[in-house]
Amino acid sequence: MALRTEELMLNMGPQHPSTHGVLRLIVTLDGENIVDVQPDIGYLHSSVEKMMEHRTYVQNVALVDRGMDYLIALNNEEVYCLAVERLAGIQPPERARYIRVIFSELNRIASHLVWLGTWAIDLGATTVFLWCFREREMILDLFEKVTGGRLHHVYFRIGGVYADLPEGWVEECGAFLDYFLPRVDEYDKLLTENPIFLARTRGVGKISRADVIAMGASGPVGRASGVAYDVRKAAPYEVYDRMEFEVPVLEEGDCFARYLVRLAEMRQAVRIIRQALRDLPGGEIRTRVPMTMKAPRGEAYVHTESPRGDLGIHIVSDGAETPYRVKIRAPSFSNLYALTEMMKGWKVADVIAILGSIDIVLSDVDR
Amino acid sequence: MLRRKVTVKYPLERLDVSNRFHGLLALPIDPETGIDRCIICFQCERICPDRCIHIEAEGKGKERVLTRFDIEMDKCCYCGYCVEVCPTEAIVFVPHYEASTYHRGRLLYDLQDLRRAAPKEPIARGIVGGGPR
Repeated sequence: MALRTEELMLNMGPQHPSTHGVLRLIVTLDGENIVDVQPDIGYLHSSVEKMMEHRTYVQNVALVDRGMDYLIALNNEEVYCLAVERLAGIQPPERARYIRVIFSELNRIASHLVWLGTWAIDLGATTVFLWCFREREMILDLFEKVTGGRLHHVYFRIGGVYADLPEGWVEECGAFLDYFLPRVDEYDKLLTENPIFLARTRGVGKISRADVIAMGASGPVGRASGVAYDVRKAAPYEVYDRMEFEVPVLEEGDCFARYLVRLAEMRQAVRIIRQALRDLPGGEIRTRVPMTMKAPRGEAYVHTESPRGDLGIHIVSDGAETPYRVKIRAPSFSNLYALTEMMKGWKVADVIAILGSIDIVLSDVDR
Repeated sequence: MLRRKVTVKYPLERLDVSNRFHGLLALPIDPETGIDRCIICFQCERICPDRCIHIEAEGKGKERVLTRFDIEMDKCCYCGYCVEVCPTEAIVFVPHYEASTYHRGRLLYDLQDLRRAAPKEPIARGIVGGGPR
């Protein structure tokens, strides 16, 4: 008589140190093998879209900072300001647009550092975590000198940025980039040829190009599976059309490819910031927009390349001081739904490696 | 390995913050008049995204005096809009950031608290000099 076996349902989360927020994964296991994974979301729902309907266009800049993805506050502010500017036909000055590019790329590096550090510590590599956070701290210090905040800045304004760069900041930022680029090579050396790291990531959590497109996954997750799509190239905003940079694309679609894509993105971000610092024009940093601005009746959709992927905001205005409706297209949400495909067939020990590799932030998923 | 340790022994020593740092809010006293600079225009109350500023005044014209200026620091999101809109730089950020208390009620800063919080020497008044308002 054969032994009877049955599938086991395992709850991972909602409080689990490696979910980077509060996410519950319902993992169905056959022995050690994953049969199915269902993400259960909603634990970090902050209702930011509804709250934005009750605040004016200017006040909402403070809200998108924390209501959406809290690690990339400046990228959130950027997409929101771009959407309102398109809606109201406001043209920010040249200098402000360069400053925005510098800050959103710095924020991209900071976000990728958090991802790399926390993912590496999930996989057991403590050194990378400490080194990544050391460099991230320098970026936060650079932010603090300009915006006054470290994570939540409220620095971008509709029609420009709030304050000009202080004296010496450009040189300081350049010095940081010179310091930072060799550090990326160090992370590379620590991980890329590390046999333990390779065993846990190479070939693990594969997802095909067709699946990525079907799930709407974007950003590094898509680019690691061969989807050569980057909003900065496909639909350039700000001054990205003047910047020279490459979009790293790999075909493998596994955790290791996603890691390599993000590592290459950090190098490209350094390249973009260097160009922006070099070409930074003088002049005004802010178009005059009243604090009680009203947007004309209509709607606008703007999408940008956030560190997690294609981040979009759709604003509908009925001509009042507050938006009529705001819809946020969150990249983490779509990326999370590619997770089920990635996990099928892997062992329970790979859950953490695969979940970490898509770089979700739960406040972005739930909004 | 032989480098100096970088750890800051936090409660005993502190890191310097930048002069644009969004710390706690304060109403500094104008040394010329001996009173704060608030002209009771209610702009900060109106712009606050969290609606955490409450202002009341009495009297008319030049006699008008501030009777209430409360900031609910537990609601405040440190966005700095109040500092930005203030026409007289009456409300400012101070570099102080340790606001934790044992009682929630103590996070309601009234006029006296806000005046007391202001440092004696001049401080960076939020972010100024940033082009046109």
